[in-house]
Amino acid sequence: MRALVLLRLAARSLGRNLRRSVLTAAAMVLGLALLIFSRALSDGGHEQWIESAVRMGTGHVAVQAPLHLETGRLEHRLDSSAVARVVGALDALPNHDAVRTWTARMSVDGLASSAASAVPVRIEGVDPLREASFSDVGSKLQEGRYLESGDRLHAFVGVELARRLELDVGNRFVLTAQSAAGDVEGQLVRVAGTFRTGVAELDEGLVHVPIETARSWLGTPGAATTVAVLLDTSLDTERVESQLAAALDDDDGIRVMGWREAAPDLDSAVRIDDYGDYIFHIVLFAIVALAILNSVLISVLGRRREFGILQAMGLTGAQTGIVVFLEGLLLTAASGVLGVVVGFLFTWGLFRDGLDFSALMTSDMSFSGSVIDPVVVPFFQPRQLVVSAWSIVIIGTVASLYPALRASRLDPAEAMKFEQ
Amino acid sequence: MTDLSVRTEDVWKIYPQEPEPVEAVRGITLEIESGDFVAMAGPSGCGKTTLLNMIGGLTDATRGRIWVGDHEMTRMSPKERARLRLDHIGFVFQAYNLLPVLSALENAEFTLLLRGVPAAERRRRVHALFDEIGLEGLADRRPGRLSGGQQQRVAVARAVVGEPALVLADEPTANLDSAASASLLDTMERLNREHGTTFVFATHDPRVMDRARRLIRLVDGRIESDERDAPVRPGETHAPATSTG
Repeated sequence: MRALVLLRLAARSLGRNLRRSVLTAAAMVLGLALLIFSRALSDGGHEQWIESAVRMGTGHVAVQAPLHLETGRLEHRLDSSAVARVVGALDALPNHDAVRTWTARMSVDGLASSAASAVPVRIEGVDPLREASFSDVGSKLQEGRYLESGDRLHAFVGVELARRLELDVGNRFVLTAQSAAGDVEGQLVRVAGTFRTGVAELDEGLVHVPIETARSWLGTPGAATTVAVLLDTSLDTERVESQLAAALDDDDGIRVMGWREAAPDLDSAVRIDDYGDYIFHIVLFAIVALAILNSVLISVLGRRREFGILQAMGLTGAQTGIVVFLEGLLLTAASGVLGVVVGFLFTWGLFRDGLDFSALMTSDMSFSGSVIDPVVVPFFQPRQLVVSAWSIVIIGTVASLYPALRASRLDPAEAMKFEQ
Repeated sequence: MTDLSVRTEDVWKIYPQEPEPVEAVRGITLEIESGDFVAMAGPSGCGKTTLLNMIGGLTDATRGRIWVGDHEMTRMSPKERARLRLDHIGFVFQAYNLLPVLSALENAEFTLLLRGVPAAERRRRVHALFDEIGLEGLADRRPGRLSGGQQQRVAVARAVVGEPALVLADEPTANLDSAASASLLDTMERLNREHGTTFVFATHDPRVMDRARRLIRLVDGRIESDERDAPVRPGETHAPATSTG
């Protein structure tokens, strides 16, 4: 009963001081909306980085032989039976819908040589059809065409590599790498097409060849160095990773990794960017907290007489403090809900198709094997919305504690001398 | 109604100020019987408000002991004193001190609300009291939309609606004109007469002193004179007291 009375008093006080309440709430709503906008853009940017990088690399989930990530050597590969098991497990996943596609790759470091020059390259044997729907390389076509089903002695190369080797579409060059037997083997291929991704390391050093050609040349029939799995969003990674590992019975010869483990550079970049965001959010929270503290404290100091009356009527000091605390709590709870709605509507309503930062970028920016798209599409994570709202409520609650303490310690007789 | 007498024994209130502490109340010993209608009078700064606040447990005595009924106020915790105020003591202040966020009715029923009295019973008692003291039709008004006399009557209603045994009134007529003062004092006298409520006033208003059956004069924190008349018991009528000057 008393709790309801105190709650009612708190609500009435907020209503009575409407301008102050609205201004304080506005600070919190604005802070939360800004937080949600910033978080959604940040998460959207990260999602694009991840998407771009995993398409060019190991997928959201990578399946490899143990030690392949560390050594990159051909001896650490999935043999044909392991590849068949992985593919079977992927098809049988309980949430198969989260898997957009997968592709098997046979990757090896080698040398590309022409009459003009020799350049160290990363050679990737790919299934042309699967790879076309997996990686972005095919869509970055400059000349010629991407690999097609039925191609055997064709290669798709970066424009910078073609320039250094002085190759045009249709020209032949030699790929050399160490085979599974340990011998250095050469393979003559013909340029089917060239690509430009904007990432120097890819444009200068990546060669796609048909996977069957690579298997035959390197003496690894049916094998793959990586089975890369592309998911709908990176949020599904851990779930699919653990389900796939379980489906493979935690086979010692097969290693299932999420993109954070498979692409540590990308993971570091996302984490570092997140830390920057956290600092921004802490500053934002501090500003919001000070606004609340200032508002509630001024309210307490200006209402000493009122609190004195309450205590003269029979309220204890603690109950008086609770009234003030409840005011802060009500204000932050209402602001929290409103802030989430405003933040979501503002971000989604105005920027659902993305916010274009190209004016701030003088040229292609890339890292960890992917190009940063200047158009960032906001990405809402339900968890982040909840965390943001709770953060504001907690900040508001904590900021109300001190004023509540001040109110609880007022001397009622002295407080009633105060002119309102 | 609980029979609450008030007793003080060598009560002091010293405010630690620079350059010298201020002795607002200096060794006051007195006893106020239950059902009395007492005025503590004196010039500003004589200590009457401080003494009233100490009796009500709103401020601590520096020395001495205070009893309200069987409760030794000077030994009670703030929480116990708050409970005692809620259950047995009503306050009326010079500046009305109504809660501006509540309507007249909500102000008046506030102590009943805190005591957990059901809403219907609260409303019944407040409306009956409002009718009795001329506040009918004003229940839903906020304090800001009431005259000074009306606000003070709401404050009196708030003080007495819970039928406290003791009402402490600090300059209740200071901001009222003669007609409003007389009306208010009539109301309080009637409540004293009909319900046996003890009223203790801190005042320098001669109109209040005229009505009091006992007049305690304070000067410089001490009792200068104490003139008493027989307290009126519930059901008795009261002849207007002669001013003791």
